[in-house]
Amino acid sequence: MVNYGGDEVSALVLDIGSSSVRAGYAGDDIPKAIIPSFYGYKATSGDADVQMSENAPENFDSTPKQTPSDAKLYLGQNGPSIWREGMEIGNPIRDALIFDFNPVPALISHALVDVMRVNPSEHPILVTEPAWNTPANRERMAEIMFEEFHVPAFYIANTGVLNAFAAGKGSALVIDVGHAMASITPVVDGFVLRKGLVSSALPKLVQAHARHILSNPTQTRRGIELLPHQLIANKLVRCLSYPNYSFYHYDITQPVEPGAPPRFTLREDRISGTTESWRVWCESREVEEWIQSVAGVLDQGWNDQAAASRSPRQYEFPTGYNTYFGPERYQVGEQFFFHSPQLVAQNPNLPKNIPTLLSESLRACDPDLRQVLMGNVVLTGGGSLFPGFADRLEAELSRNFPHVKIHAPGNPIERRYGGWLGGSILASLGTFHQLWISREEWQEHGKPIVGQRCK
Amino acid sequence: MAVSASDIRSALSLPSSSTPVHSTTPAPRKSQGQVTKKPEGISRELYALIGPSAPSLVAHLAKPRLKQKPNFGSGGKVKWEWRPFRNAGRTDSLQLGHWVKAGDDPDAEYSFTKYNVQSQSYTYSQEEYIHKDWTKEETDNLFNVVREYDTRWYVVHDRYEPPPDGPTRSLEDLKDRYYSVCRKLIRNRPWAGDEASKAQLLNSYQFDKDRERMRKDYIASLEDRTPEEIAEEEALFVELKRLEQNERKFKKERDELLRTLLGIDSGLPDIVAEEDGLSALSAEGFKKRKKNANEIDVPSTPSNIISLGPPPPKRPHSAKSVAYDAQHCIVRVEPPASSTTKITHTPVHLRSFKLPAPKAALLPKVTQTLTELGINHTRLVMPTRENCARLESLIEATTALIDTKKVVDRVEQDIRVLRIRLGRAIDGGAGAGADIDADADADADAEGEIDGRAQSILSIRSGRGRKQSRRSMSVSSIGTSASTRVGKRQKRS
Repeated sequence: MVNYGGDEVSALVLDIGSSSVRAGYAGDDIPKAIIPSFYGYKATSGDADVQMSENAPENFDSTPKQTPSDAKLYLGQNGPSIWREGMEIGNPIRDALIFDFNPVPALISHALVDVMRVNPSEHPILVTEPAWNTPANRERMAEIMFEEFHVPAFYIANTGVLNAFAAGKGSALVIDVGHAMASITPVVDGFVLRKGLVSSALPKLVQAHARHILSNPTQTRRGIELLPHQLIANKLVRCLSYPNYSFYHYDITQPVEPGAPPRFTLREDRISGTTESWRVWCESREVEEWIQSVAGVLDQGWNDQAAASRSPRQYEFPTGYNTYFGPERYQVGEQFFFHSPQLVAQNPNLPKNIPTLLSESLRACDPDLRQVLMGNVVLTGGGSLFPGFADRLEAELSRNFPHVKIHAPGNPIERRYGGWLGGSILASLGTFHQLWISREEWQEHGKPIVGQRCK
Repeated sequence: MAVSASDIRSALSLPSSSTPVHSTTPAPRKSQGQVTKKPEGISRELYALIGPSAPSLVAHLAKPRLKQKPNFGSGGKVKWEWRPFRNAGRTDSLQLGHWVKAGDDPDAEYSFTKYNVQSQSYTYSQEEYIHKDWTKEETDNLFNVVREYDTRWYVVHDRYEPPPDGPTRSLEDLKDRYYSVCRKLIRNRPWAGDEASKAQLLNSYQFDKDRERMRKDYIASLEDRTPEEIAEEEALFVELKRLEQNERKFKKERDELLRTLLGIDSGLPDIVAEEDGLSALSAEGFKKRKKNANEIDVPSTPSNIISLGPPPPKRPHSAKSVAYDAQHCIVRVEPPASSTTKITHTPVHLRSFKLPAPKAALLPKVTQTLTELGINHTRLVMPTRENCARLESLIEATTALIDTKKVVDRVEQDIRVLRIRLGRAIDGGAGAGADIDADADADADAEGEIDGRAQSILSIRSGRGRKQSRRSMSVSSIGTSASTRVGKRQKRS
């Protein structure tokens, strides 16, 4: 037992991300509860003049308003994805940081109590935070844990460090491409080098780009309506080649041909009750699903011929419209690595792409360290699951550095939940248990103990 | 089914080896007896087949059995219980629980406490502190950070925050400061142990800031190279490798040649070992050589090795050796005074091996000229010393002739060009005046002179049968000029 240094004290690990909240037991390899960070809410007070201009998807810097504390929340798998009249969609995370703590206890409680069915007051809990988290934020999190969940012990650990641990490394250059943020974190001996830490809202740009591709008409197709399936009653058309069958009141229906305009029926009853924020959230989900099933990255840099030579892929939208996507699907992934000069000229505060982030991060590191870091690159985060992403990264890196070794877990679970996995490893180590902030210490020292203990 | 050896034999209709034409009754009995003697670890069927002549190895084989079942503890169930524990590494009274075997000692210290190792750090008092660049507060701060991060310098440098009005510190500054303070403390504090351990400890805190900084600069400059520079460096490196390889090859070939031609006299160090194998052929000669070689093996000066090819300078002095040489027609060549390297060393050779030959660049021209002159120089029938000298002088003369011809051609060309230019000048300015004409006349005169001479050379080239006397004259005249050079050369070689 001492051989691998593990000593499980039935700790819990909680990893709150921009798109999902992960919770599970330390020592497990997969989180037990994965719930969306998005939640639906209905304001109980009559504050009906909700945002109309806000949440424009093209604008990365939109500031969503905070959820009223007395709102009714709809959480989890049956929360935001179910249509409810007048339901707004919220997300407590912005730029990977919690900016709205009102719904956070409810989210945590849903994950721990409703899904995992544990009593949080019986288990020490390890919470993750991004490397650029503010001291106020982590102290607030400790407060929630101790005062609302009455946990016996608490620790907050850095996702960069945890991702390095999940890859089995003490020193690493962690490239984390998440749902909202892409970050590069140099980790040395389990400590983040704050000077070399860089991040940008690159995934948002990629999503906006994909949305732009889909909704704008091209020479061969019209703009695509990104309507969610919740608003569509019927998307199948009666098959016209067998008119006889309709004689027997026996409808043969089938989807429209690829490229043909969709023929669907909207659920008119729902249109009026749909809020703007829910519609925006659904549209971004449609875009995301399209990205996940179609988009890719060319592994050797952008090349029109190479993009054209890849086989197109068919995708069907909830409206029934379906078509083949060719080079467009590689344009999406290209945004991670290369921005065209005119795009840069148009948007002065465009999120930096990955090569820029990398060189910025390495410039801030000691020359001695660069070799070590380049030999221990850890690629993680769900946003890095684009086909060809790791190959492209390797190509970009080996162009500039002689000895590059990239650790990119092939298992999508490990790649997406690397931070949780590292936390699971850390919290199950025997040597870790002296680092917990105990309830007693919290009561004695108060908030400063968090900054002292969790370096 | 038991198959005995006899069964096999009968199946293959072979005569039984042990029992010639016998009935079946003795065979089972025999096999019965064998089965009882069957060694451990060999199956009955196999034993029946191979008989008593089982290879000894088989007897050592263990009896095949299934994979051994793992043995969990002392049989039966192990009782685990959830037990709260305290961690001695903590200062508070946090109780966590974990699963342990019920039989374990409940009062034992937590097994992971021993990994909680504190690194040693130094402290100092106000009185001890004197420094001009670093204030005490800043040094205190540095020591705190270093202690907090256990001298992980990269992290220390990352987390260290200089005072707002203070200078920014590089990693080297921090290291230098910390180590110099530690060194001073070790040196000045009373030391309990012996001097050696103190020196060792001091040594472990040694830090050379300038050297570190230089090293970092080198790394930075290495990383800042442009792709072109990298490519150029790589090309140079490949070129260097190629040259080195050529050099090695050349040296190897030269050594090979030296060894072949000279043997022991070449002065190569590895020659003795090689000679050992040949020693049986001429024992006495070998001994002599060996003695010689031993002398070579420990040369006092490098020139000693070189002078070994030609006889040592002492030898010619003795009258006896001179007489010996005269009798046996031995000609000794004076070693070139200027050269003392191995490259210029000329070992013993047959004269016909070293026939003088024109320079490679001039070879075709020389050959052509000689052919025009009707001289065949390629085959020297009797390469005596005189003949060789003659041949050499001939080649020298031919070379000189060609050189002269070249000069003449050039001058002719110049004249032609000048004349054309002159003609143009006359055409351009008709009334230019008398002095130009006079110049032209003078030029023409000079040309006439040169023309005549040039023709004589030309004739050598163009016409063979034309003007024999003139040709011979010109050749002889060149010959005289060349002879002086030949003489010089002879002296040199």
